[in-house]
Amino acid sequence: MSNLPLESIRVLDFCQMWAGPHATEWLSVMGAEVIKVETSLRIDYMRTVGAPPGLAGTGPNVGSAFATLNWGKKSITLNMNQPRARELAKRLVAISDVVAENFGGSVLERWGLSYAEMRKIKPDIIYYAGSGYGRSGPHKERPAYAEIVDAFTGATFTNGYPDGDPAVVGVSPWTDGAQAIHGAVAIMSALYHRLKTGEGQFIDAAMIEGNSNFLGEMVMSYIINGDIGKRVGNRNAIMAPHGCYPCKMTGDEAEWVAIAVANEKEWKTLCRLMGNPEWTRRPEFSDELSRWKNQDELDQYLAGWTRQYGAYELAEKLQKAGIAATPSLSTKQLTHDPHMRARGFFVETEHPVLGKVLLSGLPIHFSDSPKVNYRCPPLLGEHNEYVFGSLLGLTQAEIKQLTEEKVLY
Amino acid sequence: MHQQAFSGVKVLEFCDFVAGPYCGKLLANLGAEVIKVEKPGLGDKARSWGPFPQNTPHPEKSGLFLFLNTNKLSVTLNLETATGLKIFRELLKWADILIEDRPQREMRRLKLGYNNIKKINPSIVVTSITPFGQTGPFKDYKGCDLISSHAGAEAFGNPDEGVKDPDKYPPLKGANHAADFMSGLTAAACTLGALIGRDHTGKGQHIDLSQQEAVASIGRQQLAYYAVQGETPSREFGRKKFGGFLYPCKDGFVVIWIGPHYHLVVQMMGNPEWANEEMFANPLLRNQYIAELNQLITAWTLEHTTEEINALALQYGVPCSTVRSVRDLVEDEQLAFREFWLDIEHPVAGTWRYPGAPFRLSATPAIIQRPAPQLGEHNEKVFCQMLGYSREDLVRMRQGGII
Repeated sequence: MSNLPLESIRVLDFCQMWAGPHATEWLSVMGAEVIKVETSLRIDYMRTVGAPPGLAGTGPNVGSAFATLNWGKKSITLNMNQPRARELAKRLVAISDVVAENFGGSVLERWGLSYAEMRKIKPDIIYYAGSGYGRSGPHKERPAYAEIVDAFTGATFTNGYPDGDPAVVGVSPWTDGAQAIHGAVAIMSALYHRLKTGEGQFIDAAMIEGNSNFLGEMVMSYIINGDIGKRVGNRNAIMAPHGCYPCKMTGDEAEWVAIAVANEKEWKTLCRLMGNPEWTRRPEFSDELSRWKNQDELDQYLAGWTRQYGAYELAEKLQKAGIAATPSLSTKQLTHDPHMRARGFFVETEHPVLGKVLLSGLPIHFSDSPKVNYRCPPLLGEHNEYVFGSLLGLTQAEIKQLTEEKVLY
Repeated sequence: MHQQAFSGVKVLEFCDFVAGPYCGKLLANLGAEVIKVEKPGLGDKARSWGPFPQNTPHPEKSGLFLFLNTNKLSVTLNLETATGLKIFRELLKWADILIEDRPQREMRRLKLGYNNIKKINPSIVVTSITPFGQTGPFKDYKGCDLISSHAGAEAFGNPDEGVKDPDKYPPLKGANHAADFMSGLTAAACTLGALIGRDHTGKGQHIDLSQQEAVASIGRQQLAYYAVQGETPSREFGRKKFGGFLYPCKDGFVVIWIGPHYHLVVQMMGNPEWANEEMFANPLLRNQYIAELNQLITAWTLEHTTEEINALALQYGVPCSTVRSVRDLVEDEQLAFREFWLDIEHPVAGTWRYPGAPFRLSATPAIIQRPAPQLGEHNEKVFCQMLGYSREDLVRMRQGGII
């Protein structure tokens, strides 16, 4: 196996749903051994989401959503209501480098796995606690999801069309994505510090705080000018044209192209490509500022031209002339996009339940370790034998008994 | 000085605007020494962007720039001059990490492609951030936040619930430089992987970060649905079957996340009779009849104010938030309790309140050592004290348009 950056790192992963699992998925894909602690009592909701036709509701291994969030991990089952399960968890903490959870409350503490307790077992442990609102303060126990956090922070308020209401932020759950990768960055920062000093630490990662960083400009606008912002859709504060325009249909599918004209030179180029129609010479469109002020009309004219082309065809024509443009891709179009395919973004895996399936990889392209860890996402409890047998040294008979007694459950 | 996570890590940031600078900020937050190379004259594009106090543009008073560049040093360097290039190479020898966002063709023209750089410094980690990455048929395509958002299908998924007239309303870019922030954050995650890996191998490597992929990766759940279900996805309103929905109230909007919390939502609404209907009996049925369910919930939300619903949601433990503006965020009691906001004094812009760290490390917290730099503020420190040029050289380089 090639040298992956996190190969010697072991992560005990209690995370569920989206943001937490995707954070540890980053570590897993970079080579860490991530052991996902699950239970049949309450399976990770994502194990049921996005099942192939006919398989919905048929068990804990049908969720394509789960698969795409848990590349390369190992799965064990532990019924933490049982004292013996908690003892086993403690033994796993002792041989782990990182413990990660996103329960959004003091669940681990109730299991006897507070940070203080874990430090007694493993003094240099790194404990990542992800949550919506953080692990301190009056709202620390408040339940959170991406769409809730977006409403809370003002992201929803600024999301939408210029003439419309606020809109739930897509692609959903965007803010879980931000929380996940902030989490991966936080954990790797702590790992780097430990590498240099031997010191572990506690990470308190609140979605509302990560999201407030993504909204940095909006915050500064309010602080500096009292401006609460408005919905601008595809538009830009200075550039015009800058938007998404209709193209020729392909079969029964709508096609759109996004175009951003950055300056006068690019505008002249655009005019030339359009064949210098009469309207481009009107005073309303004579300079950058006038075009920006008259962009409602400008967009209508431009749409009249873009409709004559397919989206890929037009994007290529514009890019070759030096103007930023792209087809606005649907999920389906993205899956078949020649560029994404050429770069190997999608990874095919043979999944025992889903069958042969093409899932998103991570946007990681390392020059020296090109083969990152895309081992098939785990079935529920698939690695009980390996983890309790090989890592903890339990005998086959002990594992069998613990399974029968629903400790490993 | 207290040991920080990246104390002693040296970073060269050759980036503009949002994506690359956010990547650099995440490292600078935690103690890395980040030298930002700006072009002489206007400097980083974010300096010209604003928001500016009283809408009066000033290169040292742009809120976006000030936020994204705390803790960094700034030097100016014109890489179109031989001396500028020579100094840049000296900085490459000094650095552990280079973050750059220039077109691949431009870097190659300057003989600063990864193959050139690794000869100068074999242990350097080079993170290249480009709109479409450095391989594949569209590698030289230009981009910006709008382009990444649409190329990565984020816009296709926005608004999440779809639109009532898909022919009139195009796919919608995420607000607030969303795609650029996601690209910068993703670049930081890749960079840290390579930095840790370097500790084992002693070797640096090149990271080819595609902004399109950084955005597309967040849509992985929808991409997985398409992969296993094979249905053509829709932009029609009603496409969303579960998760958080927007509900109009007497005086605004709330978002409520039903999911496994259905019984709590029902209690919060005072146990209406319709909630016991067979069509809402389990999660799969509720997803199927989500339109009907949301219509019934809307009838209830319309009779209440946002604050009434917020208070009830707190009482019953329902995942819910009012749709708030930034004003409510900045004045929020949870963030105040956690001392999230930072007051940072800048010699030209004055003292403003900034967002604090995106996550908290107990042993090595983020520390603000210095406000965002003024353009070329650290030319003397870097060129003279660090690289050994004389003050007379500095004057000559200024006269020659090199710095």
